[in-house]
Amino acid sequence: MRTVAWVLAALSVAAQAQVTSETLTKAQQDPNSWLSYGKNYFGWRYSPLTQINTSNVAGLAPAWILATGVPGNNETTPLVSGDMMYITGPSNTAWAVDLNTGKKVWSYSDYVPSGLGLCCGTVNRGFAMLGDKLFKVNIQSTLVALEAKSGKVLWETMIDDYKKGYSNTVAPLIVKDMVVVGTAGAEWGIRGYIDAYDAATGKRRWRFYTVPTAGEPGIETWGGNSFKTGGGSSWITGTYDPELNLIYWGIGNPGPDMDGSVRPGDNLYTCAIVAIDADTGKLKWYFQMTPHDVHDWDSIGDPVLLDATVDGKKIKAVAQANRNGFYYVLDRTNGKFIAAKAYTKVNWADGIGPDGRPILIANKEPTPEGNLVCPGLGGGHNWSATTYSPQTGLYYFGSTDGCQLFTVVKQEFVEGKQYQAGDAIGVPKEPSTGSVIAVDPATGTTKWRHELMSSTSGLLATGGGLVFTGDSEGYMMALDAKTGKVVWHFQTGGPIRAPAISYTFRGKQYIAVAAGQNMLAFKLP
Amino acid sequence: MWAGAPLALMWTTPLWFAPALCLAQNPFAGNAQAVADGQKLFVQSCAPCHGRTGEGAQGQAEGMRPPDLTRGVFKAGRRDDDLFRVISDGVRGTEMPSFKSLGGEQIWRLVTFVRSLSATAVVLNGDPVNGEALFWGKGNCGNCHQIGTRGNRMGPDLTRGGRRSNAKSLRTSIVDPNADISPGFAIITVVTRDNQKITGLQRWLDNFSARIVDESGNEHTYLRDEVKSVTREMRSTMPDNYGKIFNDKELNDLVAFIVKTRSEANSQ
Repeated sequence: MRTVAWVLAALSVAAQAQVTSETLTKAQQDPNSWLSYGKNYFGWRYSPLTQINTSNVAGLAPAWILATGVPGNNETTPLVSGDMMYITGPSNTAWAVDLNTGKKVWSYSDYVPSGLGLCCGTVNRGFAMLGDKLFKVNIQSTLVALEAKSGKVLWETMIDDYKKGYSNTVAPLIVKDMVVVGTAGAEWGIRGYIDAYDAATGKRRWRFYTVPTAGEPGIETWGGNSFKTGGGSSWITGTYDPELNLIYWGIGNPGPDMDGSVRPGDNLYTCAIVAIDADTGKLKWYFQMTPHDVHDWDSIGDPVLLDATVDGKKIKAVAQANRNGFYYVLDRTNGKFIAAKAYTKVNWADGIGPDGRPILIANKEPTPEGNLVCPGLGGGHNWSATTYSPQTGLYYFGSTDGCQLFTVVKQEFVEGKQYQAGDAIGVPKEPSTGSVIAVDPATGTTKWRHELMSSTSGLLATGGGLVFTGDSEGYMMALDAKTGKVVWHFQTGGPIRAPAISYTFRGKQYIAVAAGQNMLAFKLP
Repeated sequence: MWAGAPLALMWTTPLWFAPALCLAQNPFAGNAQAVADGQKLFVQSCAPCHGRTGEGAQGQAEGMRPPDLTRGVFKAGRRDDDLFRVISDGVRGTEMPSFKSLGGEQIWRLVTFVRSLSATAVVLNGDPVNGEALFWGKGNCGNCHQIGTRGNRMGPDLTRGGRRSNAKSLRTSIVDPNADISPGFAIITVVTRDNQKITGLQRWLDNFSARIVDESGNEHTYLRDEVKSVTREMRSTMPDNYGKIFNDKELNDLVAFIVKTRSEANSQ
């Protein structure tokens, strides 16, 4: 009888699991589900669940392991709704998973065409969900809507021409009745944008170009015709403030990456955070962290939304651990610069001025022979998910700590071909290391720093006083959110590149993460 | 039905469109113009991961370790059509995508350029027979290195040493062993809780454990939370005076011997 009751309870949960715009706005009030990339619109990735906590986490063990059988880097943020988990894999794959058993309920896959311009594999960072639909991008620059219960394709829209170097890896963001996505391809001389599509039909509502064209504001920051190949990708999911009706999105590097001489100027809106009106797609404000970037320092780290107390006054802030080595706090109502602080070794700028611009140190551009610059090409903090815990009041992110030798070469642009004009290689005998860093979100002051052999995967903070992360050697670990001390670890058998999530099923708290080709769900015995 | 498609290809397309056929020949083998054209394609399509020189670059993707293409030895196989197949189809489960859309002719130009990389890599005309004598004799290299079933495992196994490195970097490794330490051969020191100090070669080192080969060649795993400290030094245990022990000719002979072990491994 008890089993039947559980099943009925599970079914009723599933039946209720109709995700609406309202549900997403109030996502933080529902600790049991995980309905979007960042858990809530503010991008906190904070689960208030307390069942797994610092006192008992040592007993955390796998409940089930799903072998997807698909090789490649697994970067997905799983979604959990009702009794189902929805995950995407590399190479245009996806599955619905039964939370009772960890078995696949349905599978989705699409052909990966040849001729894609990809820096980093056929990766995918997850689904978005609205109503009875799931939304994901495919690597060949399409957006697809699936029926959640069956995996059936409801519509598929072409975002752009993959033969021109456009590709898509981002987890979409649902805003009202729209599916918002960004593009990858800044190493292929694309002109980037952020798109919004009608969730019901797949028809495009608006497009915001991240690089202006002739006659538009910002064009003066691009010498000659360089804007045409200006890059400005948008490959990590943004955040949304429903009250201000603004979407915040991090913008990638200018093209070509290392040769700044062919694109004189600040190169707006590359390496910036932009705030866009959700209804019109029009720019409300921008803040550029790295004007005229030549080190591939995309500003794509999570633009997390939180309240910061500055000079005794509470302000609505947007914070970002930027790839250039500095942590930034801005006023999210107007983009005004509030504070910035280096969180790793930086040798290219002597701090950030009161106007928010870096105080440059001379001769740090890439050279034909190779110029030593810190941080390296990947940053600092790169794309891996960050987390804010309202419990500790700290913001957590991972960092690669080290330097690289940046080179530059002359390169002609050919449409659809890689257009990087340089490279960065490691420094012999000085391998980069990694760390998980906890900062005061208002100032960027480091509260603790846990040093590791290399940078970690994305983070998850929980109400149990824990921060979860994984490493490329396959270790899943939990850190004490107050001190940074590792309090649990588990060898998963495959490299961890994805962030973990947490949810409740049948009264038990779970931690789930993709590792290697597998999806693992942990719970207490 | 399924088997019909490749058969149809045989009759309707030039041979270079059918890389799966054993008979596929590189129409540009040794063609200087194709090398130049292939280099341009390489910069556009391959350099992001393999580096502009083909020696492998540390790409944007963390943990990406693209193979050095200048050694003339490829996992894919020995023939030009093996290289064609890998470029055309990609390698499942790795970051290597398919470049089929370039078209067969362009892929052959790429193959021709990649081939030229190892042809132009430094060739050291040494005497492998004398190199073998020096390896086991004067150099006493077998004290730390293994070739085949002979020697020890303190240093990298050189049975297929030439598969990992081209002649130039092999020579550099002999005269300047600290220039580029092979993964897993840095020096680790563990201090136990009772203040015992164990120094040895890094078999592995991760966030939670270290595995060390001690001076006697025995291996032990230490869990970080059970010891006082684990430190790594980025230096090699290999003596750095081989540039003085051997003259130029002897160094070339040694390299020739190690490269020869590669050829022998290939022919097995």
